[in-house]
Amino acid sequence: MEPELVMASSPTDAGIGCWDLHSGAELLRYRSCASPSHGLVCVGGRFVASSQLREPSASSGSVLYWSWNKAHAEVKNFPAEPINPLVSNSDGTYIVGGGVSGDIYMWEVPTGRLLRKWHAHYRAVTCLVFSDDQSLLISGAEDGAVRVWSLLMIFDDMRREQAKHLYDYSFSEHTLRVTDIATGYGGCNAIIVSASEDRTCKVWSLSKGKLLRNIVFPSIIDAIALDPGEHVFYAGGRDGKIYIAALTAQGTSSNTYGMHIIGSLADHSKAVTCLAFSADGVLLVSGYEDGMVRVWDTKTHNIVRIFKHGKGPVNNILVVPWMLLNSQSSPIRRHGSSLPPPLEKYANSTDEIAEVKAYLGTHGTSDEPLDASYVSVHTMNSQIEELQQQGSSAAAGMEVERLKLEYRRSMQTVQQWQKMYENLHQFCLDELLDGDQAGG
Amino acid sequence: MAAFDHVRNMHDIALKPRLLRSLIREHLPDEKHPFKGPLELSHVVSTVKTHRLLSESLAGVESTDPKAVESWKAAVDAWVDRVFSLASSNMPDKCWAGICLLGVTSQECSSERFLASYSLWLQKLQSYIQYVSESKMVCFFLFKQPPADSHFVKVASCASLSDLFTRMGRFPRIKKDATSQAVKLTQPVLKLLNEDSSEAVWEVAVCLLCTFTTSFPSSIQRCYDTAEAAVVSKIMSGKCSVKLMKELGHCLALLPKSKGDEESWSLMMQKILLRINVHLNDAFQGVEEDSKGNEAMRILVPPGKDHPPPLGGQVVGEASDQRIKRSQQLQISSVSTLMRCSCTMLTSTYPVQVRVPIRSLVVLAGRVLMVDGSSSQAIFPFMTAMQQESICLELPVLHMHSLELLSAIIKSARSQLLPHAAEIVRLLTEYFKRCVLPDLRIKVYSIIRILLMSLGVGMAVYLTQEVIKNAFLDLETIAYEGDQTSSSAYSKASSEILLQPGQKKRKHSSTTVSLDEQTDRVDLEVGVPINPIPISLKIAALETLEALLTVGSALGAESWRPSIDSLLISVATNACKGGWTKEENHSFLSSESVPAWADFQLAALRALLASLLSPTRFRSPNLARGLELFRRGRQETGTKTAEFCAHALLALEVLIHPRALSLIDFSSPSNTSFNVVDSRFPDVYSYGNKQNTPFSSGIMGKGPNDSNSVDDDLYESWLANDDEIEIPETETEKDRDYAEKHSEMFGVSEENRQELVSVHDARIIEAKGDENMVEVQHLQEPIKLDGTVPIVGGGSLAAQISSRVVSDSIELDPVEGKVDTGNNVLAAITDSSDMEGVSTNAATSSLGKNKDSAIDLDSESESIPDIVDGDPDSD
Repeated sequence: MEPELVMASSPTDAGIGCWDLHSGAELLRYRSCASPSHGLVCVGGRFVASSQLREPSASSGSVLYWSWNKAHAEVKNFPAEPINPLVSNSDGTYIVGGGVSGDIYMWEVPTGRLLRKWHAHYRAVTCLVFSDDQSLLISGAEDGAVRVWSLLMIFDDMRREQAKHLYDYSFSEHTLRVTDIATGYGGCNAIIVSASEDRTCKVWSLSKGKLLRNIVFPSIIDAIALDPGEHVFYAGGRDGKIYIAALTAQGTSSNTYGMHIIGSLADHSKAVTCLAFSADGVLLVSGYEDGMVRVWDTKTHNIVRIFKHGKGPVNNILVVPWMLLNSQSSPIRRHGSSLPPPLEKYANSTDEIAEVKAYLGTHGTSDEPLDASYVSVHTMNSQIEELQQQGSSAAAGMEVERLKLEYRRSMQTVQQWQKMYENLHQFCLDELLDGDQAGG
Repeated sequence: MAAFDHVRNMHDIALKPRLLRSLIREHLPDEKHPFKGPLELSHVVSTVKTHRLLSESLAGVESTDPKAVESWKAAVDAWVDRVFSLASSNMPDKCWAGICLLGVTSQECSSERFLASYSLWLQKLQSYIQYVSESKMVCFFLFKQPPADSHFVKVASCASLSDLFTRMGRFPRIKKDATSQAVKLTQPVLKLLNEDSSEAVWEVAVCLLCTFTTSFPSSIQRCYDTAEAAVVSKIMSGKCSVKLMKELGHCLALLPKSKGDEESWSLMMQKILLRINVHLNDAFQGVEEDSKGNEAMRILVPPGKDHPPPLGGQVVGEASDQRIKRSQQLQISSVSTLMRCSCTMLTSTYPVQVRVPIRSLVVLAGRVLMVDGSSSQAIFPFMTAMQQESICLELPVLHMHSLELLSAIIKSARSQLLPHAAEIVRLLTEYFKRCVLPDLRIKVYSIIRILLMSLGVGMAVYLTQEVIKNAFLDLETIAYEGDQTSSSAYSKASSEILLQPGQKKRKHSSTTVSLDEQTDRVDLEVGVPINPIPISLKIAALETLEALLTVGSALGAESWRPSIDSLLISVATNACKGGWTKEENHSFLSSESVPAWADFQLAALRALLASLLSPTRFRSPNLARGLELFRRGRQETGTKTAEFCAHALLALEVLIHPRALSLIDFSSPSNTSFNVVDSRFPDVYSYGNKQNTPFSSGIMGKGPNDSNSVDDDLYESWLANDDEIEIPETETEKDRDYAEKHSEMFGVSEENRQELVSVHDARIIEAKGDENMVEVQHLQEPIKLDGTVPIVGGGSLAAQISSRVVSDSIELDPVEGKVDTGNNVLAAITDSSDMEGVSTNAATSSLGKNKDSAIDLDSESESIPDIVDGDPDSD
């Protein structure tokens, strides 16, 4: 099985714990990280970034970068205001952060440039998610709003001026702070599931912009994870239970928790704070307020592994496939480049975005030249063709060369013949003259 | 060798030395025997390559007789000796043959042999290049004809050298030696490029340079500027053939790799773009405002920054400035080479991150694309018709290259394109409106596809209108070819335009092209192949529609889906009307493949599949026709069409029997054992309860019975109820007699629907455990779902409502009347839905059903298709 890396961080300064999901071995612990909820992100598999909780008095925010092999944060960024949720697209080319003022910041990772900043919510942004195809951004805020942004629109000045509002959808059915958002598979037909402190989870259709389902839970839900088959979704509650809520699944007659809720994973523990699925879609990694990370097998509803992160609550869980790490880190190691430059604090408005910094082409691991790069046979064949046609100057040139040599040889022969002829002639002449003389 | 000393089979290694020796004996010339002719040589090479006669590899051989190995080695030795002596011959033809074979040997021989003798071969080969360039004159004086004076020999030795170096590149341990050899050779090669007069020599010299840059980058470093100057001066000279220009452009694009740092790449790119811009300034005089050039310049070199040195160094720069008045055609060919070169730079790999000047690139491409050759007399009074004609002649080529440039930008920037995407889209849509030449349109379509695929939904929103408008324009002739009345205006207009490419404006002219002539086949009676819109363009349009449906079929799609769906079905039907054509790949005298009718059929079917699969609110009216087409297509054994049709049927099966598979059965943990046993019909199959329809149980034979044997009471009750309640489904049917089933079902479904409602009491629902039960429970929940409006009547009613919103809900009334317990509930629901103002569409209703996938909402409503269909029909 592909090894996978589980990473967990907490709001207290307990660092980022790392474990191998399948062997259970604890790996390098990254130091000094006090992250807000949804503030831990793996950027394109290349490095780890986390926003940091700040003192209320702090004038700027803080986002730290760790490279995979160093325990201490290597790059420190200071955005204009404290950033809560942090998210990156799958390529790792953009980092998007949600500020406490309700602004969303979008940076380009390779250059650190602040590409756009826009006022998204009236109150602090609490969670950010990229859609399946990376073209939409979904944000949730303390004011209960869930908004869908088309990134293309964000960058299109002309359309922005024409449009009444920047967002594609604004869902305002939640009455309290939005705690988590998850999106499913299927591009524009995807669903969005949002959880809120109003004890509900709501399912939205991205294509129609409508509420599809409202599920009321016995407790506040702080974390959501979608089953990869989107049969159900898992909702981690403050009462320590992970509820299983139906999306396409059939309900049961024994409705102990409420409509659409078809079961729970419970361990008599403290509040569930974050959830993440492993790549196989069976193991559900959950972070708890008691500082533990429990791994559930969703098939058997059993805990298969427990990691202890620290005394403080866990509030972020990431599951990173090793495959991603290995494939991505090799070019970096090869070229010796370390982390990207720090993120800009303010957008440089005079400086238009005129270029992008990127690796070009595909980074295929095989630099092996192919057979196609051998040219002599091809050249020879085209030369043969030319020779066959006998028309070209080069072919003629070679023919001339050959003929010259032939000619020289022939000339020698001719000379020989000529000499022989002359001899013969002389001989005959002599004979005749001699005969005449004899006869005369 | 004994006459009857047979080898075991064709793979016996004892055969190889014998073959090789007979080749040497009979087909290779030597000192005494003359060269029999070039065809001999190609026979020798192909034999050597096919049988791998030089490989000396024992891989895949069962027995290794040491004697055979020894004899093979001796034979290869003999071969190498002979080839080497040929290459040293002073007869030009023998020498040429020897050099060619040396090249083949260096790529075919075993690693050991290569490592042992490469330096010897290298010396021999390079003597022909250096000899020529340095001591040519001496040779002439000596009157001893050097064999290398023949172009053939030069070209062959360059080619063989290139192979030798390529092979050397595979052995890291000789890298140092190889690099130093390459450094020594660079100067002579550049000399060849500068001084020789034969295009064949240039070409192969450029190829050798490319080999150096890719295999041994550091070898070029020392004479980087000279190399750049040499290549650029060739590009600017305008004396080269199209093929050589391509090679030159490629070589120029690779040059920065030899340094391998960010600055050289950026500098090269900037220089190239500047040079292109300068040329455009000249070329576009009179067809574009003069300010455009300066504007572009400002973006290429931001104010306050230094101009880079001109491309190819000072000398070349000045020289070409003097020659600026050269014929336009030459200039254009240099510009297009430079554009292609920048495309190559964008799309080929580079070892470090570079800053891609996206904005400059887009501005430059946009500058070209916006020129359409129109010239207003007011602004340019001195523009002659001649001038205009000549620029119009070249514009399509320039446009093509600009489009290539755009697509290279998109490919290289990947997700980082986002900040620039809107500008590119605007440029593209603007251009698309005016673009009429088929090749250019095809290219635009392909760029649109790339954009759609890479930027997803957000992009689809931008491009939908444009794609649809243009696809209609390009596809309408075929879609309505049988239809005598419609669309003739459009198709005539477009055909008219396409027949007159010089004329840029789209106008509806009243030509008297009869509709017969617009068919896509050659009309033999008329004798003219009338095909106003080439197949390749239609294929491109179809592929783009497919991409659009794949990516953006949900956002705001209600407005355009019906027309596109019907367009696609009629295109597919018409494409397949004339039967299925075999793929004929043979083409005479042309290396590029011409799209055949079969390709068009395939494209049409692909687009049709996308149209059927992409979500709608109700079942696609074309489903039956589409299935029929795919079914017929599958019969065409051995074609790509058949392969695709099989795939399409597989994909559509999920549409017809939607499934939302759960990881496990949450409802009944005790059922786990049941699941294991009944793995053929996992009950997680969401419509599993429907598999016991009267039809299926009859046809499937043992399937359901098997499950009965391990069933529990719940299952029994399902069975009991199913006969009355369940809507018959075709799910277990083979699709072949689909239509037949259809008719059979109508009757049943009518009855069933009555019963469905009448038996709708709580007990049965409870026992049945299907969606109805869940709904009733939901309705009794205190928390009323806003937005989710469960429809109690089950899937059938939901689907009905979804298909015809208002009228159907009226139709429902009599049915509701028969509901006993569910009656009130239903009424309540209808009320609530009315109050909602949500016109009870499939989305909201189906969500109420517990088993429905939120994601497959639309397909779910199609999952109960028979009722929807059956209803109007039985009326």
